[in-house]
Amino acid sequence: MSFSTILSAVIEGLEVAFIHVEADISNGLPVFHMVGYLSSEVKEAGERVRTAIKNSGFEYPAKRTVVNLSPATMRKHGASFDLPIAAAILTALGQIEKPEKDCLIIGELSLGGSVKKVSGVLPIVMEAKEKGVRKCIVPSENVTEASLVSEMEIVGAATLQEAVEAMQNRRKRKKIQNKEITDCGNLRKTVQKETKFPDFADMKGQEFVKRAAEIAVAGGHNLLLIGPPGSGKSMTAKCIAGILPPLDLRESLEITKIYSVLGLVDEKTPLIVDRPFREVHHTATKAALIGGGTIPHPGEISLAHKGVLFLDELPEFRRDTLEVLRQPLEERYVNLSRTYGNYTFPANFMLVAAMNPCPCGCFPNANCTCTPLQIQAYQNRISRPFLDRIDLCVEASQVKYEHLSDEQKGESSKEIRKRICRVREMQRIRYKETGNLTNAMLEGDALNKYCKLGTKEKKVMEQAFSVMNLTARGYSRILKTARTIADLEESDAIKVKHLQEALGYRMDNRKYTV
Amino acid sequence: MKYEYWFAKIQGINLRKKIRLRQCMKTAEAIYYIEETQLKKIEFLNESEQDKILKAKRQDPEKEYESLCEKGIRFIPHFTDEYPEKLKRISDYPYALYVKGSLPDKAAKKAALVGARRCTPYGEKYAVDFGKVLAEHGVQIISGMARGVDGMGHRGALLGNGKTFAVLGCGVDVCYPREHIGLYVDILEQGGGIISEMPPGTPPFPQNFPARNRIISGLSDVVLVMEAGEKSGSLITVDLALEQGREVYALPGPVNSRMSIGCNELIRQGAGILLSPEMFLEELGLSGKKTEKEGKNKKMLETQEELLYSCLGLYPKSVEEILKETKLEVRQVMEILVSLELRGYIREISKNHYIIV
Repeated sequence: MSFSTILSAVIEGLEVAFIHVEADISNGLPVFHMVGYLSSEVKEAGERVRTAIKNSGFEYPAKRTVVNLSPATMRKHGASFDLPIAAAILTALGQIEKPEKDCLIIGELSLGGSVKKVSGVLPIVMEAKEKGVRKCIVPSENVTEASLVSEMEIVGAATLQEAVEAMQNRRKRKKIQNKEITDCGNLRKTVQKETKFPDFADMKGQEFVKRAAEIAVAGGHNLLLIGPPGSGKSMTAKCIAGILPPLDLRESLEITKIYSVLGLVDEKTPLIVDRPFREVHHTATKAALIGGGTIPHPGEISLAHKGVLFLDELPEFRRDTLEVLRQPLEERYVNLSRTYGNYTFPANFMLVAAMNPCPCGCFPNANCTCTPLQIQAYQNRISRPFLDRIDLCVEASQVKYEHLSDEQKGESSKEIRKRICRVREMQRIRYKETGNLTNAMLEGDALNKYCKLGTKEKKVMEQAFSVMNLTARGYSRILKTARTIADLEESDAIKVKHLQEALGYRMDNRKYTV
Repeated sequence: MKYEYWFAKIQGINLRKKIRLRQCMKTAEAIYYIEETQLKKIEFLNESEQDKILKAKRQDPEKEYESLCEKGIRFIPHFTDEYPEKLKRISDYPYALYVKGSLPDKAAKKAALVGARRCTPYGEKYAVDFGKVLAEHGVQIISGMARGVDGMGHRGALLGNGKTFAVLGCGVDVCYPREHIGLYVDILEQGGGIISEMPPGTPPFPQNFPARNRIISGLSDVVLVMEAGEKSGSLITVDLALEQGREVYALPGPVNSRMSIGCNELIRQGAGILLSPEMFLEELGLSGKKTEKEGKNKKMLETQEELLYSCLGLYPKSVEEILKETKLEVRQVMEILVSLELRGYIREISKNHYIIV
């Protein structure tokens, strides 16, 4: 046989594209041709493959070889084509038998013939299952990750030789148990990693900030912490990571897919089981934040999907960097347009931001040394529309000595988390039909339906609208926050006191004028 | 008048010399047409000053004066009747005033309201209170339109439907600080005026500000200091006012407040004490009858609200501090704070910092 074809796949943005790797061996001058709109790392595969074949104990006769990657109109990139190309050539040479039709192969080769780890294995295998593929040959380092997909034969290969054996079904497969992952408890056990976050119990004082953090997490609301340096803003944010509700399997796989594409999963942690907490430094670029590249890679906001994106020192971020967050904050996904097409990345995150009230950090204390103009300029670094997308805003005040010396511990993160889980569960049941998950995601009709106000409550909001000069968006943010506060009290109706508390946490849009 | 304006605008000649030169030459027109040889003979002018006059001759007095009139700015030199008499009696009265709007009424009582730019809500509140009550009784408020107490004093006077006058350290057509443009317009709309000794278009140079303070005190009968730090610019105004023989009153403040050190010190040295606008009016000889004391008891507060309200003051307090003092729960405190805020009893001055109104 002189022609063969092998199924492989590649990641485009977050999508999986299936590629047929074809090889043809014929008599003629001993040249090696590769076609199919290849980027340079794919073109280089030729050299790797030929050398690896030779070094793995196979024969490579002096014949004319043509390799084609189809569809030919799609740009191919990445190093995961090495193994399928080698397989296609060996089959075409007749050195091995053709593998079953429904077998997918991915992997990178070294010159010595060993198979190296590639990224994006989980989404590829998941997609392959949808397509009806029955067997996947993956680098042995990616086996744990690939085995998360049930009802799929996963064979790991550490060398080209092993891969060939696997194709021939000659290889005595190490029995890899497709772990039965059905619920979160099980999920946790599959991952040995235990992440450690600071506990709210160790936080002195700041009862007020804790309360706001609890409400924010319970409803998935965005939170802004304002306060002088050393008031525990960053610690609060890190404590928030410890009270996030657990993930269910669907969410976990959704997140893991993104991490897999970026090569951020390994054998020890094949699955992301904790909600992500991404802390971004203020020098981050736009591309780092929302994703970028000719074929875009997901950015921090997609890595924070279903979790928390923490922006410390908010005014230090470049203004245009923050502005790009506006659309994802509202739509909960980001759409990147490139010459090769549109790429949509999920970005359903909860924003936690921290900032000082003024350059010296002490405003409105008497020892603040900033002029009103400086304070205004500092606060103006963040645009109104951006702040308008923040549901809760609290001030973390300077920690007093009495608090520091206080031996008594506050409520632990564990207890707070229990309440949060309950409230999230309530929301999940309530919004079953709408597909929403949290109060923060309420919009339009759903908002009116689930945040109904009585006459007394309406009057309060009317008053607030004029006294506190709220915007329309600000108004709906108050309703959503009040909904969460009511949920925490297990109250079906939003009452005046809930609205009042929500109003206390509102993002204020005051300006310094006479 | 165009020659007078031309002459007043020449910079770099000492105020006294200017006045003396004009007295010698009788009119500014004569100065404009003076021969160079004759000018050189005037001995109290040095060479550079003579040069400045010669250089200024290149300008067209007619055109300059026309553009001034177009802007609606009045030019009032010291020898006209319109020039405030009170001001002329101070030792270094300005050569001329530029006025947008009107000048203070000669018959009316005039009070200068001065204080720190970076004042506390305490100073802000009383600047507005005094400005308002005094204006309601026909007292005209004069201040510098600066940030802080000055601006609040003007605002108070406007609330009291009174005329108020701002003396600037820049040209009258320059609004400084810029964010006070609303105030600038309101002062003019309500019949007040913007006054300066600087020709129109002069930018706000820092060195001009101490000089304008003498005009603020010079125009008024009494000077009221609302809040002043240890080395506040308001204390310069006070020194000038005392030199000019004006009475000085100061608002007492807490002994531990940095922004009240200057005021308390003034009181120690014998300045008048401001206990309430009404009492001050009586001292001025105007009855303070138009007072409806709005007692706290008028407010219908529940026990917990009362507890919380009583721990707030005019210096901002954070929610964390309130929590500690009242020993209430977070959600209760938030509820009460917002309900008090909605009813207008307290105000959120910065995020989660409250003061009483």
